[in-house]
Amino acid sequence: MTLNRRQFLRSSGAVALTVAIAAPWRAGNASTSATANAYLRFDASNRITAILPTSEMGQGTHTGQLMILGEELGVEPSSIAVELPIRPSEPYRLFFGQMRSVGSYGIRAWHDPLRKAAAQARSVLLLAASDRWNVPLQELDAVDGHVVHASTNRRLAFGELVEAALALPLPADPPLRPASERRVTGRALRRVDTPAKVDGTAVFGTDVDVPEMLHGAVRMNPVFGGAVSRYDVDSVADLPGVEQVVPVPNGVVVVADTWWRAKQAADALDIEFGETPNDALDSTRLSDAMREGFDGEVPAVIRRGDAESGLQDASRKIEATYEVPFLTHICMEPIVCTAHTRKDHVELWMPTQGQDIIRMTVERVLGFGNEQMTLHTTYLGGGFGRKTHGEIAEQAMLASRAVGRPVKVMWSREDDIQQGYYRPIMMARLRASLNQQGRITAMHAQLSGPQMGQTFEHITVQNNNDMFSVASLIDQPYTENFALDHRHLDVPMPLSPWRAVSSSQNGYFLEAFLDELAHAANQDPVAFRRAHYANHPRHLAVLNRVAEMARWDRPAPAGRYRGVAVVASYGSVVAQVVTLRMVADQPTVEQVHVAIDCGRAINPDSVEAQMRGSVIEGLAVALRHEVPIADGRAQRSNFHDYAPLRIDELPEIEVGIVDTGAPLGGVGEPGIPPVAPALVNAIFQATGERIRRLPLSRARG
Amino acid sequence: MVTFKLNNNPVQVDVDAGTPLLWVLRDSLKKFGTKYGCGRALCGACTVHLDGAPVRACVVPIEAVADRKVTTIEGLGEGGQHPLQAAWIAADVPQCGYCQSGQIMSAAALLASNPDPRDPEIDVAMRGNICRCGTYDRIRRAIKDAGQRMRAGRSGQATAADPRKSRA
Ligand code: FES
Ligand code: FES
Repeated sequence: MTLNRRQFLRSSGAVALTVAIAAPWRAGNASTSATANAYLRFDASNRITAILPTSEMGQGTHTGQLMILGEELGVEPSSIAVELPIRPSEPYRLFFGQMRSVGSYGIRAWHDPLRKAAAQARSVLLLAASDRWNVPLQELDAVDGHVVHASTNRRLAFGELVEAALALPLPADPPLRPASERRVTGRALRRVDTPAKVDGTAVFGTDVDVPEMLHGAVRMNPVFGGAVSRYDVDSVADLPGVEQVVPVPNGVVVVADTWWRAKQAADALDIEFGETPNDALDSTRLSDAMREGFDGEVPAVIRRGDAESGLQDASRKIEATYEVPFLTHICMEPIVCTAHTRKDHVELWMPTQGQDIIRMTVERVLGFGNEQMTLHTTYLGGGFGRKTHGEIAEQAMLASRAVGRPVKVMWSREDDIQQGYYRPIMMARLRASLNQQGRITAMHAQLSGPQMGQTFEHITVQNNNDMFSVASLIDQPYTENFALDHRHLDVPMPLSPWRAVSSSQNGYFLEAFLDELAHAANQDPVAFRRAHYANHPRHLAVLNRVAEMARWDRPAPAGRYRGVAVVASYGSVVAQVVTLRMVADQPTVEQVHVAIDCGRAINPDSVEAQMRGSVIEGLAVALRHEVPIADGRAQRSNFHDYAPLRIDELPEIEVGIVDTGAPLGGVGEPGIPPVAPALVNAIFQATGERIRRLPLSRARG
Repeated sequence: MVTFKLNNNPVQVDVDAGTPLLWVLRDSLKKFGTKYGCGRALCGACTVHLDGAPVRACVVPIEAVADRKVTTIEGLGEGGQHPLQAAWIAADVPQCGYCQSGQIMSAAALLASNPDPRDPEIDVAMRGNICRCGTYDRIRRAIKDAGQRMRAGRSGQATAADPRKSRA
């Protein structure tokens, strides 16, 4: 279809301009600039700036989003500068009406809005050139930051057209480039943030440095939910550099001229926390309570087909109970925020995944509205769900208000691990029946443990269906006769999404159980799953691919044992095969094969990186991560007792990307869920043991 | 008052005795490339060179640095052009990036003594550096590539073009 200019303008909808963010705190670009829409800004010197809705925490989203914008616009993605909005607003909100970098949303949810934003800008640039040259619109293209008229060999840089272009109304429904014109997305592109991350210039939250800034270290009640009963300011008043001790909800911030001095003083402070209702909280007792939770009846979250009578009638019934521990996030960059609280305005610099959570925190703590907040999102040294929370902003704002200067409050690693927001504990009892052919005829899944959604203000848990507890189980692909219920246990601790949220545990429950069913049916675990994937082509595609990569059709080499798992989460499906050998009765993982179907991979190199990182994290978690609780306190403190995998423990990892034509799926999280079940399934092959409780270090000693 | 050389420039700092080098670098000298990760020599995020040898700046008291040479990520190569940094960009190593200064400093010390390391040697030199994002495969690859670039550079062959301009 060709549009003439009149038709084009008629199809243009309302002009949706937002305020240009002309003063990013780090860039100092004073040249005149024009905003195309909420996501793109142009200036006459040919500089294009993207205002991106997602925080960069290592997942590579900025690069992927620039690829989407650059492709549609016709510019080299890495030539586009990146900013984040200085406060959340409508165009940047996609998650429950909030601006948040969660849910592996960065590409899958933002692809269409960003593509459209770039297409809008391209449309008016082409239109301006068509006016200027008096040539038909359809003879023009946007290439490398220029509008090009091929037949007369004319080119004009965007910068020369911007003024005229942006005076035109933006089309509500701009034409999009067809798939045949794709040159950028789908091909590996190096990340735009890499150079700054190898020469030390990338600014993380810890690296914020503003004039007159002081530093804060914290001392908090080690018992969850506790407060402070008394502290003695005099005990630290004479220590060098100390400015003030500022009370905050569950402790104090000690403010000094350097962080080291603040930390020394916080440690030296004479402080008493007193008794709290949670002093006896203990994870062993919580386990008992979860087990008792299975007694009695609760309303089902879902019930499909005929799970009950299916289970009653079957000749072979299998049952197993699994358990997972509390986990913490250990973002490499500790929890940090810099705040400058003034009389009627607060400025914040922080690595946050939850800009609207910070807005809500500002409102709660200071009574300020969104417009009274300026929020500079820095790079995040890891997020994983931990950096959605607001308490660190609260501490920094209160400390700054008390001392009248900007304060950077940073937690130590010990604070981070002991004052976390934990991935909840959970227990699952799974039951299933098999028919004569070894097909699953019915399944009943029961969860017992906290409903994390109940702890979030913006979520209402209805009918016992907590979306933060049931993912990757509620939509299991194995049988039409399925029931799921969840017995809620109140846990008086801060809980949080952790990478892959409930899929992280439900993938383990389901796929470890599947292995038990395959064994009971006397079938090969890959063949058994295949037989159940008739209506699940994506599951089948990744399973077949991973089986091929791992040469599953041949016996494992002598002394090597393999386990497989397939889990759908965040719109993607991931299959993994773990190959291990036993050394002195401990598993040594030698190889992990991964196949992912995430729809079209926008930046395949980022997909690969996320899969590798997920495997490495998933292995550490399955092998040894847990945060036991005793006397109301977290019983872990630093990397010696909560140890990520190190380079000498690295298995060989191979990643295959499968495109079945499915819509875009997430990538940051879906690599996690299959790791633990593939690992425990391999251990069963090696030793005959079923690992029904994670981590392995606890289950096997 | 402690005097030492930081990235070849003499510096003088007036801090409490016992202050770890890490906090002198970050809070007094505003060199933010060196990171805090654990404070207990467990993670390597704070790795710098002291007279050419890798140390964890979070546990080195400032007195121990007096009259010695400290090199941080900012001083490793002219404008980030050390062969390791070029190799890191070519392999697109970082994810969140927070651990990477420490990784590169440990790798630089390794290559200085062993320009052609194999995986087990890399593992020994790098096992003190945690990457919570799991970039280890690319770290290994980049170290080998950098070793090759350095060896090629020494024998007078052309080095790779500016990696920032060449995109895969
Ligand atoms: S901060 Fe020094 S080793 Fe972790
Ligand atoms: S890149 Fe994030 S910790 Fe290494």
